[in-house]
Amino acid sequence: MPYDPHPNHEGFLNSVGSPIQHRFNPHTDNGGTTLAIAGKDFCLVAGDTRQSEGYSINTRYAPKVHELSNGSVLATSGMYADSVNLVLNIETRLEWYKHKHNKTMSATASAQMLMTVLYQKRFFPYYVFNILGGVDEKGEGCVFSYDPVGCYRRETYQAHGSSAALIQPFLDNQCGAKHQNIKEELLTLDQAMKITKDAFASATERDIYTGDYLEIFVIKKSGVTKHKFDLKKD
Amino acid sequence: MFDPFSEEGKDTRNPIRHTQQPVIVSSSVLGVVYKDGVMLASDTLASYGSGLSRFRDIERLKPVGEYTVVGASGDNSDFQYITHTLEGVTTEEYDWDDGHKLGPKNVFEYLHRLMYGRRNKMNPLWNSLVVGGLKKGEKYVFLIGSIKFVRFLGYIDLKGTTYQSEAIATGFGSYLAIPLLRKATENGRYKTLSEQDAKKLLEDCLRVLWYRDATANNKIQVATINEQGVSVSAPYKLDTEWGFAEHIRGYGA
Amino acid sequence: MALVNLNDVLSFTGNEEDSAFDDAKSSCMNFETSLNFKLPTFSIQNLSDVSDIATAPVDFLKQQMSNENNSRIAIKKGTTTLAFVFQGGVIIAVDSRATGGAYIADGGVKKVIEINPYLLGTMAGGAADCMYWERELGRRCRLYEFREKERITVSAASKLLCNIVYGYKGMGLSMGTMVTGWDKTGPGLYYVDSDGQRLKSDLFSVGSGSTYAYGVLDSLYDYNMSVEDAIELGTRAIYHAGHRDAYSGNTVNVYHMKKTGWEFIYNKDINELHYKYAAEAKPSTLS
Repeated sequence: MPYDPHPNHEGFLNSVGSPIQHRFNPHTDNGGTTLAIAGKDFCLVAGDTRQSEGYSINTRYAPKVHELSNGSVLATSGMYADSVNLVLNIETRLEWYKHKHNKTMSATASAQMLMTVLYQKRFFPYYVFNILGGVDEKGEGCVFSYDPVGCYRRETYQAHGSSAALIQPFLDNQCGAKHQNIKEELLTLDQAMKITKDAFASATERDIYTGDYLEIFVIKKSGVTKHKFDLKKD
Repeated sequence: MFDPFSEEGKDTRNPIRHTQQPVIVSSSVLGVVYKDGVMLASDTLASYGSGLSRFRDIERLKPVGEYTVVGASGDNSDFQYITHTLEGVTTEEYDWDDGHKLGPKNVFEYLHRLMYGRRNKMNPLWNSLVVGGLKKGEKYVFLIGSIKFVRFLGYIDLKGTTYQSEAIATGFGSYLAIPLLRKATENGRYKTLSEQDAKKLLEDCLRVLWYRDATANNKIQVATINEQGVSVSAPYKLDTEWGFAEHIRGYGA
Repeated sequence: MALVNLNDVLSFTGNEEDSAFDDAKSSCMNFETSLNFKLPTFSIQNLSDVSDIATAPVDFLKQQMSNENNSRIAIKKGTTTLAFVFQGGVIIAVDSRATGGAYIADGGVKKVIEINPYLLGTMAGGAADCMYWERELGRRCRLYEFREKERITVSAASKLLCNIVYGYKGMGLSMGTMVTGWDKTGPGLYYVDSDGQRLKSDLFSVGSGSTYAYGVLDSLYDYNMSVEDAIELGTRAIYHAGHRDAYSGNTVNVYHMKKTGWEFIYNKDINELHYKYAAEAKPSTLS
């Protein structure tokens, strides 16, 4: 038997038989990083604005953090087309909830709803990693973190996307006080802003899918404010 | 006899096969935003796979309504279907007679729905589309950083991925032309890019593609969308130079 | 828009529900999928829909989740969970680690799902599958209470869950769960998985670290043990699994199921337990 470099490859095993089958892959990863930090009376949600495909940068400004009509903010990373349609889906449901109940949906209720919406597509998932940020009924900052098929949990801080593995350990250190024999305390807004900017600047340095601009949303009981910063564009 | 409505073949062992690869394909479409509007350009070649040049007079820049041009690369039959569908949309829009006219943003949104809908059915339209336009008085703002755009230039592909930018290129152009296009437009430079310069820029890019992309051609078209309206040029040939580059260092001389 | 308005008037003659339906339909008839847009549904895609989008759903899902796929959908997996019946009820102990490949996606997962005050479910396999279907189970159990005016038995509840997931057999659901509770027959403990298997026993452990947990449980379990000892046994078994299995760890959550319903006992850090157990005197055969 001659050496076969591709022992499991149909095309090699069966030279006149079935051809190699390439299947249309409906999913793609457009990169990008998102992050959220909950505080005592605020929630911070951030994301970069680069959109990529393979090694190409499609555009330097395709926002992936979306302000929702109920006052919470949804940060999406993964496949851009899916995230656009997910946000559209969520917004439709928020609108109908408003007409049906004559009130806007709370952040915690929309968190549960998002789980259902994601699980609906369990067998053809939205390839989107979500973080939902807002203020809960008590006026405290809340962050909900999701996997693509809807498993979710309330957290105090979370990073998702292409730089998640770079930023999450940094947040464990700065926000979670992990392995430091000190008590975990909620950050102030100033601290959270500083940490977020540092996290993204550092991630941009090492991750090719993160960069260009940084958008930070700060959610308080009184409303949402948006801040924009430059990141490196190389 | 072949019966297209037969239930035979719809069993699970012989499932319906949707488009899994394009057959007759075309290469890059380029688009830039310039001082007075938007300009799109492409060549007119369609090939079988990456080998055989099949058709040399395929027009891939189609005006839609009064303010928009759609450019396509990828499968030519799918683009003809898209064009046909868009014609239906513009006809319906005319029939309403409600004073509203389709702008580039409307066309872009429609195509986004169309492409994403088809990928959800696992039956994609195998194209990358560029939508360029300018609707007088339409108040949409596209932001890049702190720069506001009043022109429209967007991209849609077979998975429904969309983006807007001051410079867009599909296919091989995304590697070869994008650096040139961005150099001329980024950081607000598009504001001083004249119509002649924009046209020269696109021609230069298509020339580079003709030199280096096996599926490109030197017969091209340029579409201009400005406040005066839409104009798509007739196909014309690029001047190219194939002599030995004896004075260029590194080319053997 | 004249025709649209006419449609509104015509539909008004129908009963109220139909009219609302038509109203929604007509007010967005310029959209191709008008009703989906106006009246969002909360139903799961049925099997025929799925086989429509992909010629073979299982193949499709496998491809989506395969390592070769660069935009693959990694589902959180890897776990140790256990539950056992003893004279004082049921002890449920779980770890809290969620992994996506080699990355620890989350160290503080709640793997005990509080279905209602008398029912608990555990999470192993696809986190979202467990979370979603056990929430759905909670809803169905509540409906059962309304209809029957009594609490559902653990046996019936676990069979409900089993029947649901059996309907999706072969489609890629992944869950290994223990349903525990206290009903009119006393404490109950059932194992249900996504193959549609349902087992009743006094002792279960599920997940990648289950073998380690079984070792500890089998050597120290005694039906007549005190509540305190039982809690300690659950904790110790999860600790050992967390210590040896890379896909388990972080913290231990312990619950106690009693006649009055479940009680959350505590959350302990496995790292801290390690030094606590290391300081203990070893049995003479090991020293």
